[in-house]
Amino acid sequence: MNGTLSWRRIRPAAMPVIGLGVALAFLWPYLVMLLDAFRPSGDVVTTPPSLLPRVWKWTTFGEVFGDERFRAWLLTSVVVAVASTIIVVLVAVPAAYFTARFRFRGRIAFLFLVLITQMFSPTSLVVGIYREFFSLNLVNTYLALILTNAAFNLAFAVWILHGFFASIPKEVEEAAELDGCGPVTRLRRIMLPLTLPGLVTATIFTFIAAWNEYVVALTLMLDDNKKPLTVGINSYVTGYEQNWDQLFGASIIAIVPVVILFAIIEKHLVGGLTAGSVK
Amino acid sequence: MKRRGEASGPVALLWLGPALLLIAGVVVYPAVELVKASLSRYSITGLRKGDAGLANFRGVLANESLGTVLTNTVVWVVAVVVLTILVSLGLAQFLTKEFWGRRVVRWAVIVPWAASLVITARLFSLIYSYYYGTLNAVLLGLHVVDTPIDFLGDDRWIMPSMVAVGVFVSIPFTAYVFVAGLHAIPGEVYEAARIDGASPWKAWRLITLPLLRPAVLVATVLNMIYVFNSFPIIYTLNESNPGFGHDTTITFMYKLAFKSAEKDVGQSAAAGLFNVLLILVAVVAYLRVSRWREEES
Amino acid sequence: MRTTTSGHTAALRWGVLALGAGLALAACSGGTGAGSAGGGGGSAKKATTIKLVAAEYSKDHTKAFWDKFASDYKAKTGNTLEVQIVSWDDIDQQSSTMVQNNNPPDILNLNAYASYAKDGLLYSADDVLSPSVKSDMIDAFVKSGTYQGKMYGMPDLSSARAMFYNKALFTKAGIAAPPKTWAEFEQDATKIAGLGNGSIGYGLPLGPEESQGEFSIWMFNNGGDWKKDGKWTINSPQNVETLTFLKSLATKKLTQNNPGKTNRQDAFDLFASGKVGMVVGFSPLAATLDAAKKVDYGVAPMPTKADGGEPQTFGVTDYLMAFKKKGNQDAVKAFYDLYYQKDQVNTFIKAEGFLPVTKSGIEQFKSDTKLATYLETLPNAHLTPTDDPTWDKVKLAVQQNLGTAVTGDPKAVLDKLQKSAEAGS
Repeated sequence: MNGTLSWRRIRPAAMPVIGLGVALAFLWPYLVMLLDAFRPSGDVVTTPPSLLPRVWKWTTFGEVFGDERFRAWLLTSVVVAVASTIIVVLVAVPAAYFTARFRFRGRIAFLFLVLITQMFSPTSLVVGIYREFFSLNLVNTYLALILTNAAFNLAFAVWILHGFFASIPKEVEEAAELDGCGPVTRLRRIMLPLTLPGLVTATIFTFIAAWNEYVVALTLMLDDNKKPLTVGINSYVTGYEQNWDQLFGASIIAIVPVVILFAIIEKHLVGGLTAGSVK
Repeated sequence: MKRRGEASGPVALLWLGPALLLIAGVVVYPAVELVKASLSRYSITGLRKGDAGLANFRGVLANESLGTVLTNTVVWVVAVVVLTILVSLGLAQFLTKEFWGRRVVRWAVIVPWAASLVITARLFSLIYSYYYGTLNAVLLGLHVVDTPIDFLGDDRWIMPSMVAVGVFVSIPFTAYVFVAGLHAIPGEVYEAARIDGASPWKAWRLITLPLLRPAVLVATVLNMIYVFNSFPIIYTLNESNPGFGHDTTITFMYKLAFKSAEKDVGQSAAAGLFNVLLILVAVVAYLRVSRWREEES
Repeated sequence: MRTTTSGHTAALRWGVLALGAGLALAACSGGTGAGSAGGGGGSAKKATTIKLVAAEYSKDHTKAFWDKFASDYKAKTGNTLEVQIVSWDDIDQQSSTMVQNNNPPDILNLNAYASYAKDGLLYSADDVLSPSVKSDMIDAFVKSGTYQGKMYGMPDLSSARAMFYNKALFTKAGIAAPPKTWAEFEQDATKIAGLGNGSIGYGLPLGPEESQGEFSIWMFNNGGDWKKDGKWTINSPQNVETLTFLKSLATKKLTQNNPGKTNRQDAFDLFASGKVGMVVGFSPLAATLDAAKKVDYGVAPMPTKADGGEPQTFGVTDYLMAFKKKGNQDAVKAFYDLYYQKDQVNTFIKAEGFLPVTKSGIEQFKSDTKLATYLETLPNAHLTPTDDPTWDKVKLAVQQNLGTAVTGDPKAVLDKLQKSAEAGS
């Protein structure tokens, strides 16, 4: 047909252009933020605004990295986010697999419980969380924050993995079972590779959620050097002194690890495509 | 020997145990504390002064701003979730096509999700500013408007401004849920459709969309929950607005505790429980509706 | 993502056991831990650990000061001071969480204290303040920190407001000197607004952040007050007049856009952009302006409603209050003794750019000519009624409602606030 033919021709050129448009649509506020990191703080809030800095300030990122408080916050964020993600995956995979494949009493209840726990906002729960960790003497520890973040993100991981496990035809596993594979081996050798996209999604989701968590970290982490970035960078802009340039510079830096993680594992989103398998 | 596919209690506990423990510890216990708090009387300092029975719940229901807050919440959730799902479906399709530069586009799309919501909210409150905001600068420069738009102060503009940011930050995660879902669809399915001569649009509607149903379900339910509980956007963009005029239930709950004349932690806890109830009702309603559809088609 | 079979299961089992034990502990432990006064070493004097929750005024100075203070404190007394720095935006939530869990810090830095005193949570000055320290404090602040005859709110620093004006805009509009009366003020604002080019006569912040502050300073200069002789006078005729006056400024377009929804910092940013003729500011604004060197500004006393009236200054202090806990009284007393040493408190105040709270501090700061205007009026500064626990709620009500008067009815707004204040006491 005529229409299809000419789209075929311009497609290789048109798609990247559309892609550029899409990329800009999602990046433009952060480009504004990047520019704001390169101008003195006062210029950010000057009327009338100018898109490009009136005066360029190149030292912001150096200042931020040079600040030992910032470095401590960055380290905390990394530790907490990585550990939380690992725990979520370790805990959610067996739970989701089991719920998808085996019938047992309370199966639906478990899924629903997991979902309901997501409905409680951290702001509501933070007082109870503080009380609990205080009695365990775990306030101001990484462990408390890691466990909290893991628990908060469990629902998403379980639900999405459950969906993926459930969508794989039973015949695939039955074939393996006939070959003598027990549930754990089946999980490891067959299901996990097939559900890699879901796993990747759960990993990214948890990492980002833990990386950007605010309320519980604010309440539990008392020492300045144990605060994650989200809490720490509040210090840049107070009611009395504003350092917008450093705030935004630090925020840009905070985005980088997440994008790097994503860039590394993103190709596995394609994982299950050719898994084909049974036929 | 148990029937295949069935499991006994203790075995279930082994697989589910860690998950249950984490949830019990970090969510159930504090949730119980929340309920206890809602039944207690507190001084303005947070000191517990005794039992309150249901007084806190009555107090919240009697609040003159409750109607406005509920309306705002419904509008906020419906608008953000619907728009997010629609845009994400299209975006996900785009992101699964092969083209030069796709990788970079995928990385770009993740940025709003990667950035802390608190920071994005602050950023947008600057971008929306009447006097020094980028958005007004662009609108004025392109002569779309003569005077700046008061995005954050004009009652007509506040909700659309907040919804725009809400959609903006929700699209990346939703789109990737759909991308994962799309990649799980075997390629043979599309081959078969093409051989049968179906147009791309028809193939999408009759094959892709139904196969994406689980993903859409998950994404919608989770989005509903997250948007209901989304705090930074509403709170930050509303910073210069007095009263509760543009608050949703979650910022209402926070303000009841710390920023309103009530300054009552007990009432805030009651409001928090109402919030959970609201979300539960909304999610159950949605699940009912979508299951129905499944049975019909 | 691959997991090893047997290692995984074993790890799971241990994890289950560990978490189970932890939760059992939580279930079995009763209330939360009480005070933080710990046992010390074997020497005669017991070393204690006390906790300070301090609000963050600035990134570079607050933590730096308190960290150094903590080491000075340890060197001098042997006690340990744990410092937790919290942003002003979050400190209400933090302190509430701590109090709800019966785990307040030993010293809390907050902008209120009376409600805590009313709940019987605090030490009074009789318990923890040396007489020499108390007598050095500025009387107005002692009074403001006294609830029911006892002082509970020790001031950490103070600030005072004044009228900042843009000298360049004044010259351009042909205004010779800053206004002394409200009538002159309105004229000046009109002239500046008439300059066009986005010029704003007066930056009026009545948004929820601090509308009680802005209203206070105008109210005091019209002979009004929040309370008089122990009774609330929020809707007194003078106050209604004042609020109506402010509303008229907005109606006559002498202010920036939407004053009912403008917060203090936004008004300051506009002034720093050189677009605003006058704004009520304080020392942090001066610091910003001095650093940017963009606006040629002057500082003047507030205009009064009546001709020949005496300009009233609006002053604010924040507080360092001490929570009663077993065994921490001596350590807390040592804290205050050290903090109010001339080289400690004034170092902190100077670094943060605020005003002193002690008489000796005033003497010390006199050498800075820029502060002369403030220092003269400081001992007679008006404060909001922070000594009344009801004010803690009224203040919030004011913040949430005052801005609506700009587009609504000033008298109705003040009547409502008066009613809620009377109901709350």
